[in-house]
Amino acid sequence: MSKLDIHKLQNGMVILGERIDDVRSVSFHFLLPAGSSLMPDGCCGAGTVISDWLFRGAGDRDSRELSDALDGLGIHRHTSVSAKHLDLSGSMEAGSLSDALKLYADVILRPKLNADQFEFSRQQTINELHGLDDDPREKVMLCLAEQFYPDPYGRPAMGKLPELQSLTTPKTATIVKDCFHPSQMIFSICGHYDFDAVCRQMETLFDGGSEFKPPVITPKHKGNSYLHLPGEGAQVHIGLMTEVPPIGSGCYYELMAAVSILSGSMSSRLFTEVREKRGLCYAVGARYRTLKEYAGISCYAGTTPDKAQETFNVIVEQFNQLRMGITDDEMQRAKVGLKTSLIMQCESTNSRSGGIAGDYCLLGHVRSLEEIRDKIAAMKIDDITTTLQENPFEEYTVVTIGPKEITI
Amino acid sequence: MEFKHKILDNGLTIIGEVNLKAQSASVGFFVRSGARDEIPAVSGVSHFLEHMMFKGTESLTALEVNEAFDRLGAQFNAFTSEENTVYYAAVLPEYLEQVSDLWMQLMRPSLRNDDFEMEKNVILEEIAMYKDLPQFEVMDEGKMLHFGQHPCGNSVLGTNASITALSATQMRDYFALRYAPDNMVLACCGHFDFDNLCRLADKKCSSWKPAKAQRTRSSFMGTFARKSFKNPNLARQHLCLLSPTVSMQDPRRYAASLLSTIIGDSTGSRYHWALVDPALAELAVMQCDSMDGAGVYYSYICCDPNNTEKVLESLNSLYADIKNNGVSENELRTARNKVLSAMTLKCEKPMGRLVNLGFNWVYNAEYQSVTQEIEQVKSVSLEDISGLIEEFGLDKYTLFTLGPKEIS
Repeated sequence: MSKLDIHKLQNGMVILGERIDDVRSVSFHFLLPAGSSLMPDGCCGAGTVISDWLFRGAGDRDSRELSDALDGLGIHRHTSVSAKHLDLSGSMEAGSLSDALKLYADVILRPKLNADQFEFSRQQTINELHGLDDDPREKVMLCLAEQFYPDPYGRPAMGKLPELQSLTTPKTATIVKDCFHPSQMIFSICGHYDFDAVCRQMETLFDGGSEFKPPVITPKHKGNSYLHLPGEGAQVHIGLMTEVPPIGSGCYYELMAAVSILSGSMSSRLFTEVREKRGLCYAVGARYRTLKEYAGISCYAGTTPDKAQETFNVIVEQFNQLRMGITDDEMQRAKVGLKTSLIMQCESTNSRSGGIAGDYCLLGHVRSLEEIRDKIAAMKIDDITTTLQENPFEEYTVVTIGPKEITI
Repeated sequence: MEFKHKILDNGLTIIGEVNLKAQSASVGFFVRSGARDEIPAVSGVSHFLEHMMFKGTESLTALEVNEAFDRLGAQFNAFTSEENTVYYAAVLPEYLEQVSDLWMQLMRPSLRNDDFEMEKNVILEEIAMYKDLPQFEVMDEGKMLHFGQHPCGNSVLGTNASITALSATQMRDYFALRYAPDNMVLACCGHFDFDNLCRLADKKCSSWKPAKAQRTRSSFMGTFARKSFKNPNLARQHLCLLSPTVSMQDPRRYAASLLSTIIGDSTGSRYHWALVDPALAELAVMQCDSMDGAGVYYSYICCDPNNTEKVLESLNSLYADIKNNGVSENELRTARNKVLSAMTLKCEKPMGRLVNLGFNWVYNAEYQSVTQEIEQVKSVSLEDISGLIEEFGLDKYTLFTLGPKEIS
């Protein structure tokens, strides 16, 4: 069984760990306070540029030497930018951990940030932004988040073209300097490791630096309730989202169960009503998306133009019907589904290390598996319907991309 | 880990890798049935049939099937390729027998006419969905161009016309031949009891009749044709390059896979330094697909349309360099570390392990433990890689491009 470890460096950096015996791998996440909502105005997309730029040389290694060193350790690395954080993660065989941490300390604290490399990073981000036009499924959900969350929480990580074009080397280097305070970083690790050894090494590598108070975000206006982007594709891509309480509100499990009943599996309501009974589309699915401050249930569906209106109507009908009642059988299926995905998530050191870091950011503590399992087991149908009745889906933010608009 | 193996009298093979320390178990039916086994009149039937297998049996409706999986908390699905259809589920150990029982029932479906007509809509929606994903379309078209008349070029999805014209009777005939027990493997991994699984299979599957399904297996080097399709609605140029390599039956497949990592892994590869690092292309990856009697390297590149010529020039000089100078010991070592660490991570989960276990048996009727697979990767030498480069080259390739620019 797993064991949860926690330690704080003197400068405030949080170290979280969950040891799993019987695995040979280890995974870690560094959460740096450089998410898309924390970028200065006019610098949308800077986080993604930075996530590429950091790896183009650090410490005494140039870009190629750094890449060779990381690959030489067999590290599977990934970077992503969320609303609050720039997330640098790595998975590897346990024996490579200590060397990997040294390399990541260089990347985070001593990146070269060379001007010539900056241009490549910026250009690459611009390329990826253009590439979104050829991926309407992805694009519709990014546009949806931008419309749904009060600005700046929904700002797209990949940025906006004019703002990316106006980014300069000094401006972006300043953002790195302003954001990368070890005191505000969170490090999580899961798998085969020795926590004392990890803490000692992290102290050597990351301790120091002064206290830092991150800027307070003042959310502003929300976007449009319906946005249609014309496109000449074969399908209309529909994204919709409605507000529900965030994870810390005390009704997280009820909302997760509600989404599971709506869309967690092939016997769920959306799959049954939209795809199985009516054959309206191939892909339809909903999920609970939560920040600390705001949350919503989002849904995606892609369908040919003549079926778009009916698809939308059936989805909204299913959302609205949820609070009218849930059967015992649905409840049981939701519970076993949530329990299974929880245990299976914990078999992957990468997803579990991401999970514990996410918990800490959103809740201020890490939930143990036992805690989650007990909460799921104790849930009753009334808990879900009460939550849904107290938080009815009143307004929907909708974005469509495709050859035909729909009526909201 | 312990490997177990049994063949029923009707030819159904049952294999299992038991790991009593695992938190979950995975089970799957591997059916030798894919696009290459289809004649043009039934193009897409293997994939359509995969959908129909979830529609129930004489005693179960589609909804009951989905509910049954969900009651077990199963993470389940299926996929169809050019040469296999695989049905799989991952569950907590206590549900393994029940989920296996369910799969065994579903392998003898009712294939009702009304379900067939309704599901046809979903298949047509799936075809439309992929039309909006140029990264998929370019690979599918590239594959057809490369294989020409060879059956490995057959489309997995089929076309609007072939699916619309397909009848339920044609599907039933195809099913009777390809889903015979002597053309299927039942594989299981993780925490489970092999003898119990065999007893269950004996009870549920021994009445299935063998059919001696055949497959035409011939090696094929490719057409090396060039084709460009202009689509002004796309933002990026999508390129697919294909060249031949070894089949699944060839012991050099480990070397072939390492060569594709050296050339086209997402980090630190030849493609990365030639195309992604200088921002000529946002994505450039190569995959090795060893198949039944044939093999192919797929490369996918996504770039600014105006960079297409430059990208192709870079690729040509990269291939020429590899042909003339080979690859370095350092590149091989790095690729080996990457592949080994990916294997470690994947095999920690029974679900990840199931696919390797099943395919090793389907193609070669052999068991390879994780340790044996690791040894195979470790034993690849530079001479092995040079031998492959000499035999297959890379400088001769089939090319399909899709995007706003027509490439001459």
